[in-house]
Amino acid sequence: MANTAAVPKSFRLDLLNGKHAFGTSVVRAGTGADTFKAALYLATATINADTGAYTATGELAATGNYSAGGATVTNATAPANTGGTGIVAFWTPSASITWTALTSSGSFDCALLYNSTNSNLAVGVFTFSAQSITAGNFSLTMPTNDLTTGLIRIG
Amino acid sequence: MLVHTINGLIERDLLEIKDIFTEEDNARIHATEWFLDGELVRRDCNVSILRGLEVNGAQSSFK
Repeated sequence: MANTAAVPKSFRLDLLNGKHAFGTSVVRAGTGADTFKAALYLATATINADTGAYTATGELAATGNYSAGGATVTNATAPANTGGTGIVAFWTPSASITWTALTSSGSFDCALLYNSTNSNLAVGVFTFSAQSITAGNFSLTMPTNDLTTGLIRIG
Repeated sequence: MLVHTINGLIERDLLEIKDIFTEEDNARIHATEWFLDGELVRRDCNVSILRGLEVNGAQSSFK
């Protein structure tokens, strides 16, 4: 037998499932999954790695069928670490994020994914070329939910 | 078929449609622009995220 230094495969998955708290944690209302939302930001906003939580600053105005705080993300698929060697844990929303009959208040190029159950803490910032929507639909189609392309991966 | 626009519901046959496809490093974008007599009256867009974000750290040995 030989010992091998490693971060256990299960640890990454446990992180996505909120099972470890190395610092001060939060009191949870239950054991269910948190609610995650996505908000859209104007191209003039400053959303980046320093954005620790959802902010209304720079967000699309709540007009034209856009609501402050954005849209709730469909989360019907639990995090997994299947495929490959099992080292990468991953999670992806189970449906596209869609706004219908939208008229954006300006040109936007960013979506912030955040945890609306837990203090609106930021999860990920996604950027794309600036878009404006006029009386139309805007959708963010999710990548394939696996270890190489999943929306959030811990490798 | 009627299409929702900034001018209300308009017959699709009256609209000129322009599809725009853009390939980016991590996204594929498809925008559809609808024109009525040269005026943009509707614009849709779909952004397909090709790859998500990875929190990545190499494993190391202590010995």
